[in-house]
This record gives sequence, structure tokens and C-alpha cells, in this order.
Amino acid sequence: MATGHSALRSLADLDLPRSKIPQRNMFRLATRAVRPIARYPLARAYATEASGAGKLRLSFTLPHQTLLSDVEVTQVNLSSSEGDMGILGEHVPTVAQLKPGVIEIFSATDKPKKFFASGGFAIINPDSTLNINALEAFPIEELDVDAARRALDDATRRSTSAATEAERVAAKIELEVYEAVVTAAGKQ
Amino acid sequence: MLAVRSLPRVASAATGQPAISFGVQTRNMATLKEISVRLKSVSNIAKITKSMKMIASTKVTKAQRVMETARVYGNSATALYQHTGTSTNEESGKPLVVVVSSDRGLCGGIHSSLSKTTRKYLSAHPEAALAILGQKAKAQLQRDSRQQIVVTFDSVAKNLPTWTEAALIADEILKTGIEFETANIIYNKFKSVIAFDTVIVPVHSYKALLESPKLSAYEVEDPVLKNYEEFTLANTVFWGIAEGNASEMAAKRTAMENATKNAGEMIQKLTLTYNRSRQATITNELIDIITGAMAV
Repeated sequence: MATGHSALRSLADLDLPRSKIPQRNMFRLATRAVRPIARYPLARAYATEASGAGKLRLSFTLPHQTLLSDVEVTQVNLSSSEGDMGILGEHVPTVAQLKPGVIEIFSATDKPKKFFASGGFAIINPDSTLNINALEAFPIEELDVDAARRALDDATRRSTSAATEAERVAAKIELEVYEAVVTAAGKQ
Repeated sequence: MLAVRSLPRVASAATGQPAISFGVQTRNMATLKEISVRLKSVSNIAKITKSMKMIASTKVTKAQRVMETARVYGNSATALYQHTGTSTNEESGKPLVVVVSSDRGLCGGIHSSLSKTTRKYLSAHPEAALAILGQKAKAQLQRDSRQQIVVTFDSVAKNLPTWTEAALIADEILKTGIEFETANIIYNKFKSVIAFDTVIVPVHSYKALLESPKLSAYEVEDPVLKNYEEFTLANTVFWGIAEGNASEMAAKRTAMENATKNAGEMIQKLTLTYNRSRQATITNELIDIITGAMAV
């Protein structure tokens, strides 16, 4: 699976610069302890569903590719640093930081799409637009579980044997991303 | 009498062409060689500018493609500002100016336009700190605002711009420890292949975001907002690099096209002068021979 492998490669490449700059918050997102699944965003999201939700307009962009631009969808599920969220129309405006994980997009017309994103931001605006800015994202079918497992083992080894603090943090970030990749790819 | 009649014609060929002087005298035998040397060098320059134009036009399509996705990404990432009504608070904190230029010249007024906008901004905000991407803007700006320069970056976007590069740059800027209220990214916005606009795009600090009037509508935690500030800085730097790169390539193409055209005109004029003076020399030699023959 050449495509899956290249997907992983770019995820790993993306992590490289982080090794030099572990103290920055921006790059620390992945090292944050995994919090329990969010309590209220989920609850509120589903509350609006009952009231006949408005249309959610989604823009899903990467720096080098526009995956979806202002497309009407019914629901988006994503995992943020606050916990997993299910977003419908008229969701409460939120600024959420993405964790490495699956972004699930449901629309009325198409089949549900699943992407794996390494990190970024999701912003829900008052006018029911959702902007997802990720750094790397790939359709989940393109992920290669075996390559991810190998990379996961490698990252685990390096996270314990790293000489400097910076290397250790970088390896931990990689570890978390690959863990998420393995979980995501295993589920499909 | 041939000799008598041809003399004034030689004179007019030699001196009656002030437009085709090119700094060389178009008078006697010695200039014939000078003209041919010059002709050769101009046609070599034309060859170079022509190939530079070809390179720029292939690069401009690539850069344009990158720029278009970067623009969608940048707009989407900064859409929050419009919704929260975040504005610059002029009093608190000093502004940071990030000038996005490049290392390469020969592309028209791209870099001087950036420097001009920056100087104008600096004269209104003398306390601002400067971060400069690219040697060209650095060379132009360090002449009169050397003390304000905090950090500079060379060889930015050597190939196509990447987000990773922009993130590293943003991180270096943050590492300098400047406490900024607003980071103003100055770059050349790509309008079309023949036009660009130098624009200033703000990146607000999380403090400014916290103070914005409509943020209360959002559900957000402080550390997330701080991360968002850093993320947006990287995004906007990337956006600026991508747009600047596309504008630069387009401007380079235009500049090189004009240079090739000018060189072509010059070659034409020089060839004309060359042929005229060659003709004049031949005529002169003929006069000498005929006069000699008549004297015998």
C-alpha cells in the first residue's frame, strides 16, 4: 500500500520540526494528557438536534490542499483537546484544538467520509459555519496499519531511550499520533 | 564625380543618427568592432532574459496553485476575527511587523514596494519591532531602521513554500520573546499575473482576542486561544509567503519579458548602425581608391 505509506511518511515528516521546539504551546497539543470525553459540548450538540438543526456549512482545509470548501453537511464528529465532539447545525460557537484523530463528515447526499487529521483547529462560528484547519489529513482508507504499527514501535522505543528532553517530547508526540493512526486504521 | 557626391552622404550616415549612439561613437573603423562586440553581448543578455522568463512562467503556474490553496486556508483560519470583531488596540503593547520578501531580484518593484509600505508603517509606529524574511527587504530596510530589526531570515521559500517552513519561522519569531499586541504581516498580494498589491494583514495576540467584543459568544479556554494565536501566526506567514512567491514569479516573468523585448529592439538598432558604418567604411575605401586612380 504505497499511498498509505506515503500518508504516514508525511505525518512523520510533519513532526520533525517539533523536535527543535518542544517548549512552544502550539506544538504541545499532542502531549497534553488525554482528557476524559467531553461532557457538555456533546450534550449541547445533541440538544440542538431536537430543535430542527440549521444547516452546517463546512470548510475543511489543509495548507496545501482544500478538501472541502463551504459544503453543506449534516454532522461532523471530531476529537478535540476538550474531548470528542459531534457538531450539528446551530452548535454553540466554539474554538477547539484538534487532537490527532478521525474526523467524520456526514452529509445528506453523500456517503459519510472519514479523514484522519494530525492536528489543527476547528472553529464553529455563530452563523453555523465550521472551519477546520488541519495540517495533514488523509482519507482513512489510505492509512496503512502495518506501517503505523512499525512506526509506533519505533516511536515507543525512542520515547524511552531519548537522550534529551526535546527528543523525548518529539517522540511522545509521534507516539500519540501513531497511536491514533493505529486506532483509526484498525477500526475501518 | 562620385567622390564629391558621396562625401556628404557619409557624413550624414555618421553624425545624423543621434538616437543610435549607445554610448559608442559611430564614426570610424574602430567603432565597427565595438558595435559588433556590443551586439554580441546584448544578444547574449537577450538569451538569458528569455530563458529566465520561461523559467518564471513555469514557476508562476505552480506558485499560483500553492497560493490558491494557501489563500483558502488563510481566509478560513482568520475567519474568527471577523466574527469576534477583533481590532487592534493601538495603545497597549508594541506592534510587530513581519515583512515577507525573498532573496531574488530581477522582478520589478516587488521588494521596493514592500519596503515602501514598511517605511510608511514604521513612520506611523516608530516603536514597532521588525522581522524580515528575505535578503532583499533586509538590505533595503536596514539602512534606516537597523535598530528595529529583531530577527531576519534568509533563503525563504527557495522552492515552493511549505507550511513547515512557515511554522519554523513563526516559532523563531516567537522565540525572540517579543511581546506584541498585533503582528502585521506585510506581503505582496497576488491580484493577477500582471498586478500585485502590497497589503498588511494583522494577526492578533490572544490578549487582543480576549478583549474583542463578541468573543463571549464562543466557548473557548485560555490555553487554546494562546495556541490559536501561535497557529494563526504560522498560517498567516505561510499565506504571505505563498502569495508573495506567486506575485514575485509573475512580476519576474513580466520584467524578463520586457527585458527581452528591449534587448530585441537594441539588437535591431545596433544591427542597423553596424551595417551603416560598414557601408560607410566601404564607401570611404572606394573614394580612396577612385581618388588614387584619378590622380595617376
